[in-house]
Amino acid sequence: MKKLLSILLALASAALAVGAAYLMVSAPAEPPRDWPAHMTVQQHALLIGPIDHSYRVAAYLITWAIQLGYLGWLAMKWRPAKRTP
Amino acid sequence: MKTFAISAYAAVVAVLMGWGFYQAVYVAPQDAMQGDIFRIIYYHVPSASVAFVFFAVSLLGSIGYLTWRRTNPNWAQRSDAWALAGAEVGVVFCTVVLVTGPIWGRRAWGIWWTWDARLTTTLVLWLIYVSYLLLRRFAAGPQVQTLAAVLGIFGALDVPIVYMSNRWWRTQHPAPVFGGGDGSGMDKSMLIPFMWNMLAWFAWGVLILAMRYRVERQQQVAAEKEAEKALMA
Repeated sequence: MKKLLSILLALASAALAVGAAYLMVSAPAEPPRDWPAHMTVQQHALLIGPIDHSYRVAAYLITWAIQLGYLGWLAMKWRPAKRTP
Repeated sequence: MKTFAISAYAAVVAVLMGWGFYQAVYVAPQDAMQGDIFRIIYYHVPSASVAFVFFAVSLLGSIGYLTWRRTNPNWAQRSDAWALAGAEVGVVFCTVVLVTGPIWGRRAWGIWWTWDARLTTTLVLWLIYVSYLLLRRFAAGPQVQTLAAVLGIFGALDVPIVYMSNRWWRTQHPAPVFGGGDGSGMDKSMLIPFMWNMLAWFAWGVLILAMRYRVERQQQVAAEKEAEKALMA
């Protein structure tokens, strides 16, 4: 049971980390540095909104990837200690 | 009764985490300057606070071990278990800080990392405690706990330096939001979600700290029994 739990936590952690990396890699391209010459402030805000959203979600996912990964590792350590007579 | 209390606490932590997430994503308003990326603060800052507190737990545990190692071995072992648990869970939270910070920095500054005082001292803090954990994992002999306790005490000296770094020096890292003097602080609409997340992350941290302490105590007891068996044989 504990082995299964630690495997599930490790898989969840890996999936979250991969999801976070995918979100950052697949985020829309950033506008050029001279964007004021090409677009209005509103257009710029519309363009960077999805990028910020992707990075924010990635940060949340990575946080949980680390926490759940550690919890899984803790579950693995828990088992042999409990079985010791 | 004990199992029920632990399960009830874990359920409260799960509810708090869900509520904190809801507050951070759906209740807190968008920052006028930073937009959605600002919401990283609801995970980044509480993680830093929890890491600092747990490094302080490690400091107290290390002092306790050095104090009682000759006079009260049982208390010394318990203190050592707290020192290890505090350092290890502190490193987990510090890792979150060092990962979420650059993600925010990439969008806010256009760079992942800069060697300013706040970032560098935080990285040094993380490295000190990683070295503490490596010492505990790979060194052998009767002096390991004593050496680790000394390292734990010196490592904790970096915590106030990290905290004060963006007050003492000019840094790329934002100025302190709390206790930063005139102009610092947070609007109430953002402060309430922030405090909920602070509470949720502390509750989560205490849960895994207690779990890590229990694992270490189990291992200490098992090691003591093994040593007794070896002596009897």
